[in-house]
Amino acid sequence: MEQSYILETRALGHRFTDGAAVLNDICLQVPERSVYGFLGANGAGKTTTLRLVLGLLEKQQGEILLFGQPFGRNRLQALQRIGAMIESPSLYGHLTATENLLVLQKIYGCPKERIALVLEMVGLSATGSKKAARFSLGMKQRLSIAMALLHEPSLLILDEPTNGLDPNGMIEVRELLLSLNRKHGITIVISSHLLGEIEKMVSHVGIIHSGSLLFQGTLAELQQQRSAGGRLSLYTDDQSKTTSVLRAMNIQATFDGGKFTMPMPQQEMIAALAKELIGSGVSLYELSPAGNDLEAIFMDMITH
Amino acid sequence: MIQFVQSFESEWLKRKRSLASWLVICGAFFTPLVITVAKIVRHGALAASSRLPNYWEALWKSSWESMAIFLLPLGAILASSLITQLEFKNNTWKLLHTTPQRYGVIFLAKLSVILVMMLQFLILFNIGIYLSGVLPGLLFGVSYPAEPIPVTYFMTENGRYFLACLPIIALQYLISLQFKNFLVPVGIGLVLWILSVAVLSWPYGHWIPYTYCSFNYLKDGPKFTHAFPLITFALGYFLLFTVTAYILYLQRKEKG
Repeated sequence: MEQSYILETRALGHRFTDGAAVLNDICLQVPERSVYGFLGANGAGKTTTLRLVLGLLEKQQGEILLFGQPFGRNRLQALQRIGAMIESPSLYGHLTATENLLVLQKIYGCPKERIALVLEMVGLSATGSKKAARFSLGMKQRLSIAMALLHEPSLLILDEPTNGLDPNGMIEVRELLLSLNRKHGITIVISSHLLGEIEKMVSHVGIIHSGSLLFQGTLAELQQQRSAGGRLSLYTDDQSKTTSVLRAMNIQATFDGGKFTMPMPQQEMIAALAKELIGSGVSLYELSPAGNDLEAIFMDMITH
Repeated sequence: MIQFVQSFESEWLKRKRSLASWLVICGAFFTPLVITVAKIVRHGALAASSRLPNYWEALWKSSWESMAIFLLPLGAILASSLITQLEFKNNTWKLLHTTPQRYGVIFLAKLSVILVMMLQFLILFNIGIYLSGVLPGLLFGVSYPAEPIPVTYFMTENGRYFLACLPIIALQYLISLQFKNFLVPVGIGLVLWILSVAVLSWPYGHWIPYTYCSFNYLKDGPKFTHAFPLITFALGYFLLFTVTAYILYLQRKEKG
């Protein structure tokens, strides 16, 4: 059965007015009910992609499908089901949190009771008559998330939502998003360059670099793909003896920064290597897989 | 229509506590307050003036003197620019443009808020004129003005002033939608207003769209020689600027 995507782009391209390409052939595929992490360094093209998806930038090339329909002809119907927060928080500084939500409540025509509910969700119930301009960045970020959630969207598009949050705030937002995804089935697209943060909440990953999508798939697929080409790191007290052992066992390794690295051998070979090194009187300080966390995978992808 | 009403309500809420909303209130009561103070200072003349057969027309004329030439055009320039700039200042165009609203509805709702604020300004100004006409008398025990309030004349003139400031509102709206920097629309508005004052006696001055509030005030004066259909010109410019503003707004490649 063909997988249904809540958000799909086909060969999406974009150029600045000076002709420089910002995006090349981006084919995003965001499955329904997934938490899709859109990863990339600053300037990689994440925000441009999301702005195109939401119609904030005029589409130049390719196709955008939301809820299975072309976005251009169904803009209003699609936006009715999307909650979005792009880049820095968009708030009316002279209004309170409740008034900011009221501005949107009038447009969406959703029940007023939702205002108190979403403020509660993001922990801003007690802000009273305080104007949004006087909020901390973290509070502004949380109010923006509340505004994106007000009309109970099916798809939440959040561009760097944890920017400016303290570690506790990050955890709170992560738990809130995961609960929205699990309890309410909301599909979430979350862009970030904070890779450690993303790793803890996403089911799917898209990695963008210099305007090109380097990888797209589930988090497990990404880790599997990279572990197939993974490496083993070895740290001992004796470089010379270790080199001899590695040669004798016919293992190709490189020495850099005080450590040996080599293509990941079979499990039995790892055990044999450890045994041989200890038997040769080498003190074994470290024998570990290198570069299997998302951070390392990401860095490896964008630098190779 | 429902979408427009919802959008208008949303836009109306945004002006709450904004500088533009304060400007409307302060601007509307400024001249009546000055006139009230002047009457209190010269309270000896109150009794005689309250018996005049054209008491309200004279008060109307003196109230509109500074309003028509200075405060109304400048107020229209500032209010139009401030309301539109709320989105730039708060970085909220991207929020507004990701709500399920037609661009035409957003455009018209914003413009309607400015127009309703101008009506609000005129109503408050009329209340101010009335209070400046009766309060000093009440304070010094002078009887209520003998002449009945010429309601039809006031309403007609209010309508003419409202129409006369429409080109200013539309052009300021057009410029404010295009420029992120608040100083650009205000600067252009001020230059055009200064130009409009300078060309009042020029035979072709009526082609400058910022002159109509002044011309409406001067039309009954003995030296007024500009015979032109002021309301037609004002409405023509308003339509031209509004349509141009909408086309330019739609053509923006970046909507936030």
